[in-house]
Amino acid sequence: MKPIVELVDVTKQFDGTPVLKGVTFSVMPGEIIGYIGPNGAGKSTTVKIILGMLKKDAGTIRLFDQPLDPNDVTYKARIGYVPENAELYETLTAKEYLLFVGELYGMEEKEIVERAVQMMDALGIKDAFHGRLSSFSKGMRQKVLIISSLIHDPDILFWDEPLSGLDANSVQIIKELLAKLKQEGKTIFYSSHVMDTVEKLSDRILILHDGHVVADGPFSELKKEAAGTLEQLFNTLTGFDQHEALAEQFLKGMKGEITHDA
Amino acid sequence: MMRNVFGTGEQAKEPVYLKLIDQLAPLYSKVGVDYRQMRTILEMKMTMDSRKEAVIQGMGSNAKQNEEKNHFFSSLWVYAIISVFLLFLFVYDNWVFQYTTYFSYIFIMLFSTMLANFSNILLDTKDAELIGTKPVSQKTIGAAKATHIGIYLVSFTFAVGLAVMLATFYFNGILAGLLIIFLTFLSSLWALGLTIIMYSTVLKHFDGEKLKNIIAYSQIGVSIFMVMGYYLMGQIFEVIDPETFLVEMNLSVGHALLFPMWFVAPFGLLQEGIQTVYIVYTLFLIAGTVAIGILYNLNSDKIDSNLQKMDKAKAKLSSRSFLENGTAKLLSFSSLEKAYYHFTWQLTKNEREFKTRLYPSIASAMIFPLFMFFSSLRGDQPITSQNTQTFLYLPYFTMLAIPMIAVATQFSVNYKGRWLFELSPKHAKGPFLRAVTKVMLVKILFPMYGLISLLIVILTGFIYSVQLLNGFLLMSAILYFEMKRSSQGLPFSRKYAASEANQGCMASLIFFIPVFVISLAMILLQSFVPYAEWGVLVALIALNAWWMKKGFNK
Repeated sequence: MKPIVELVDVTKQFDGTPVLKGVTFSVMPGEIIGYIGPNGAGKSTTVKIILGMLKKDAGTIRLFDQPLDPNDVTYKARIGYVPENAELYETLTAKEYLLFVGELYGMEEKEIVERAVQMMDALGIKDAFHGRLSSFSKGMRQKVLIISSLIHDPDILFWDEPLSGLDANSVQIIKELLAKLKQEGKTIFYSSHVMDTVEKLSDRILILHDGHVVADGPFSELKKEAAGTLEQLFNTLTGFDQHEALAEQFLKGMKGEITHDA
Repeated sequence: MMRNVFGTGEQAKEPVYLKLIDQLAPLYSKVGVDYRQMRTILEMKMTMDSRKEAVIQGMGSNAKQNEEKNHFFSSLWVYAIISVFLLFLFVYDNWVFQYTTYFSYIFIMLFSTMLANFSNILLDTKDAELIGTKPVSQKTIGAAKATHIGIYLVSFTFAVGLAVMLATFYFNGILAGLLIIFLTFLSSLWALGLTIIMYSTVLKHFDGEKLKNIIAYSQIGVSIFMVMGYYLMGQIFEVIDPETFLVEMNLSVGHALLFPMWFVAPFGLLQEGIQTVYIVYTLFLIAGTVAIGILYNLNSDKIDSNLQKMDKAKAKLSSRSFLENGTAKLLSFSSLEKAYYHFTWQLTKNEREFKTRLYPSIASAMIFPLFMFFSSLRGDQPITSQNTQTFLYLPYFTMLAIPMIAVATQFSVNYKGRWLFELSPKHAKGPFLRAVTKVMLVKILFPMYGLISLLIVILTGFIYSVQLLNGFLLMSAILYFEMKRSSQGLPFSRKYAASEANQGCMASLIFFIPVFVISLAMILLQSFVPYAEWGVLVALIALNAWWMKKGFNK
């Protein structure tokens, strides 16, 4: 079997600051990949490059066994994407937004509405179908984004913090959904800071640090390098062990006991 | 037949512009645009423009939100009425003179509207995430953006040109009437095409922080070019007999660069028959249109593919300048007001969208005084023998920027940050508005007024310094009253949409009348009543001291 996504030595810099310094990994069809790393490590940048929103500086990318061609957008019809920030066209209603997205995928109105209503019902927001997105809570918007990423039945999902803002019950549903999507043969590539979820759901975990992939493998294997939870492994690999000292520093700052130069 | 997804009900009527654009579907497809997708995007954008954003959460079920009205279209009649003054042109029998003035006016209006009000729509980065991740080509996204702005721009141009177009049918015949309709339409496409080509070139060649500055400079550059163009245009015609309205045209090779003249040449051919200069200019018009078409087609996908650069620019280390600290200390009367002063100073320094919206208006407000200043230098007499008092009018024209400032400070791209102000105590609105007004006075109006005044001081010396100071104090007071009149809630708390586009423009046009009356009253008072300038000075100082301390409290 050939990889569905393959990155080799991909680099990217912004205004002279390197963000990706040679990212290499591959994803096989049907895998659930947890893509984690500290804030600003370049997780969203990687996804945006794969989705053609940003241009890479160097390296090669293959998607669906084809080299990524910036002039050909047809591959995007097989991708579902949930962005990191729950950005939506807020003055539209949920129905209008989902119809808009479905239309861009070339779907027919009837088909979009039927799918959207059923999916919204399953996530408990069917009554808000005709409500404006500006009046939705953060969790409701996140659900609309999740639905919009799945409405066209894609082959691979790129989800950036998909569980952000969701209540406990909805998180349970999404976790179940991910397992079922995997059974359907879908590939799922998601970034999250909730280590517990990543640990339990992922077939493989990629840890991005300082512009490189510093760990790649199933959690059971990664555990051999550093015992404990994924959170502890993450801290070890990203060289971070000063939680207590920093919390102390923060508290002092709050009380005006200044220890650093401004 | 396309279906209608957006709209208030199933039976919602399809807007005329969509029907018209449907006729162009084969043309879009021919240049590589997916028409169905483009139409979907366009329909969605127009629906959003006609809706106001709900300010408070939970407004979703409120009936008021379902009111759909595009404020841009419903306010176009104001432009149509204001442009009636152009009808004076028809007392002259020279068509070339008539339409040179007409197209100069049209292009000035078009470019200032395009740059100030639609740049942000063109440079919006949200579409990249929400549409760019779907199987939609950059060309289709680019075409949707251009068509979206095009609908507004064409409607605007037709409103501005309506009076002249109708009069053309009546005075100059059907053929000239059809020609003016076609060329007016073409002029709006030119403004749109040239702006897109300019932005895509800038976006392609620059990166990061430099890119943001270049965008602001290119807008100012276009405005300066307009001033120069107007100045040169003024030289082309000379009224040789005011009684018979006889005008003489003095074209030179340099005038060939003034492209509004190219739009006039076909009228020359129509009225005066075949003449080399008109044929050459008409050929320039055709060649220019073809060139813009080709360049647009080559660059239309470059804007969106390079837009991400704007958001990825490294943030500069923010520091408070000497001017900022000094004026904050001098003009703020409480610590809360001082905090808002710094906040406003930094926000207006860093927010690209704010600059994009305001800078072209500032440049346009400078056009009149600069143009008049330099044209008065043109006279054969030495400056000393001229009636230098006429110069005193000039700085007053910078007041035309005041309505634009009042509008610009209402919006912010980070409008959601308003929760911060909403949480602050109620009495904070007064200090906030005072601070915003003071920052605008120091950062925007003072440099504008100062520059024109400086030119006058260089020419006339310090004999009018009290009058000039009075002018500035008057401007400061007017800024206060305009900010108070137009403030809707807290500053920087509203989201900008295309349908808001002509808010400030319209206010500026209406503003012209009081500015003229007040300036005239000031000049007359200070010229003919002995020592009046000192009285005016005392009154204005008192008024300004009052608003700076207690303004906006109610």
